Amino acid sequence: MSALILTSVLGVVLLYLGLSGNKSILAPTAIVGLVAAGVMSWTGWNPGLMEFPTMLKFDQMSTLFNCAMIAVTVLLFLFGIDYYRRMEENVAEHYALMVFSLTGALILTSYTNLLMLFLGIEILSIPLYILAGGKKRSYRSSEASFKYFLLGSFATAFFLMGIALIYGVTASFDLAVIGQKVQAAPNNVLFLLGAFFVSIALSFKVGAVPFHFWSPDVYEGAPTLVTAFMATVVKTAAFAGFYRFLQMTAMPPALSDTLLVITILTLFLGNVVAMRQSQFKRLMAYSSIAHTGFLLMAVLANSAMSWSTLFYYTFTYALATVGLFIVLTLAKRAANGNEAIVIFRGLFRANPWLALVTMLLLLSLAGIPLTAGFVAKYQVFMLAIGAGFIKTAVFAVFMALVGIYYYVLVIREAFTPAEETPVLVVSPINWLVVSACGVAVVAFALWPVLVG
Amino acid sequence: MQYLFYLFAAISVLSGLFVVTARNPVNSVIALIVCFLSIAGHYILLNAQFLAMVQVIVYTGAIMVLFLFVIMLLNLNNSTEPQKTLLTRIAAVVAGGVFLLTLLAATRQGVEIAAANPADASVGLVSHVGMALFKDFLLPFEVSSVLFLSAMVGALMLGKKEKVAA
Repeated sequence: MSALILTSVLGVVLLYLGLSGNKSILAPTAIVGLVAAGVMSWTGWNPGLMEFPTMLKFDQMSTLFNCAMIAVTVLLFLFGIDYYRRMEENVAEHYALMVFSLTGALILTSYTNLLMLFLGIEILSIPLYILAGGKKRSYRSSEASFKYFLLGSFATAFFLMGIALIYGVTASFDLAVIGQKVQAAPNNVLFLLGAFFVSIALSFKVGAVPFHFWSPDVYEGAPTLVTAFMATVVKTAAFAGFYRFLQMTAMPPALSDTLLVITILTLFLGNVVAMRQSQFKRLMAYSSIAHTGFLLMAVLANSAMSWSTLFYYTFTYALATVGLFIVLTLAKRAANGNEAIVIFRGLFRANPWLALVTMLLLLSLAGIPLTAGFVAKYQVFMLAIGAGFIKTAVFAVFMALVGIYYYVLVIREAFTPAEETPVLVVSPINWLVVSACGVAVVAFALWPVLVG
Repeated sequence: MQYLFYLFAAISVLSGLFVVTARNPVNSVIALIVCFLSIAGHYILLNAQFLAMVQVIVYTGAIMVLFLFVIMLLNLNNSTEPQKTLLTRIAAVVAGGVFLLTLLAATRQGVEIAAANPADASVGLVSHVGMALFKDFLLPFEVSSVLFLSAMVGALMLGKKEKVAA
């Protein structure tokens, strides 16, 4: 609770600091604030004992997810020091909106009431609609913002229709009460319909096929830092929210079948279309859709252990993604704003360490053994097999193999000498963040081995 | 009461249909106002007097008037409307049809709906709404301020004129 309050206040503080006109204090303040929020969240520090048990519940799951999301945001803000250096205006607003969005994410991991789920989703999304249009002079950025806003509002309409139907059947927004009523009458059609609608809206937020159309355009159009934020924190929060919602519904067969179809479509389309991309951000968008497919399998298994797998998967995925987007920004600067995959050519010559870390991060996304991505995918497959989705798991393994192809394409570019070796300017903080991501991806893979 | 419900329901559905089928956007907006007024009628039938007033003042009054202004300023008409291809039309009809079918099928199976609260004429008065907001729903009420603040910040950020870079 205190972490939630702190992040809300931090956003306002950042806005006021923006008035002072001194850009250089923004990122440090935001980072200090977020670290404090992370500590509060980790220790469960709650001095006034403010608790709203019917609205928010901070259990082990939400604590871990919250700390992970705060940590990823801190990494992104460290990157922001360099990223926003050349931007003159609205820097404070960018930081503040991202902090507000994080507040929504914190709510999504811990809600126990459908109203809080709604508010969480909206607080998460509305700052993003704005941030996606952050490059005001860029046509693509405005397009991304508008597209995201319109489709997001459409998803919200579905969501509200869903909770209206659920309320109509159960006369409650409280997850515990709804859960009891549903167990008493599991096949109430109106409840199923409501659960469907809410699932549609949440599938939109996580970017599952066939609700994925926004994501390549928005990922490409939005400023890189915002794209990284969307691919990591937002996806993590949306999955935590999705998982909590489905736990409550106790997964009736009709819903489970629908989600199974969505999962298979997502796995297939994400991986296959990603092979044909030449722009790095679009590649990452489709790769993120593919990862949504794997994550949906964990959600689908719907066991009590799903959340720890979801946590491990989203966190390691987020670390790899943050690192890659930083490398992209560095390479993009050297290539005058070009975002094609070819700009990675000659990376090994220009900066061997960066190329090696990039390789590690990409291998982790692909799920090669000895990286965290492998452990995460392995856990998901075991979970799916344990829940009886054996055919889906086999299909997913096959799709994971397809996925290796397009990640290796990027690695190949990085290790191919270019005619003109690009000149990369790497600030020490960026170097540190990228290296930390690379080291973490390996450390987290060895962690299960080392610990147990 | 029942007849009133059917009357309001018929007005809502018909005006709603007119909103989407009307050729002229101004007619659309007027129909939407009628639709909102009939929904306010539903609220009164449901003992939610305060909500009904808010619906009339905020939606029909403030928001729709703003809407009307915007439409008149933009001068929308048939010629500016984007032409839709046959494929999009077919897709829209199929999607909408499937959606309608699902809803109809669901409502046909005499489903149980939770009983409404015992009729208490004072339940929808301002004091009751206030008590609910500041007792049971205090946290959502406070948290929504973050939502509005970020929306305001965003509107300012996107709307502000930028200094032209040298």
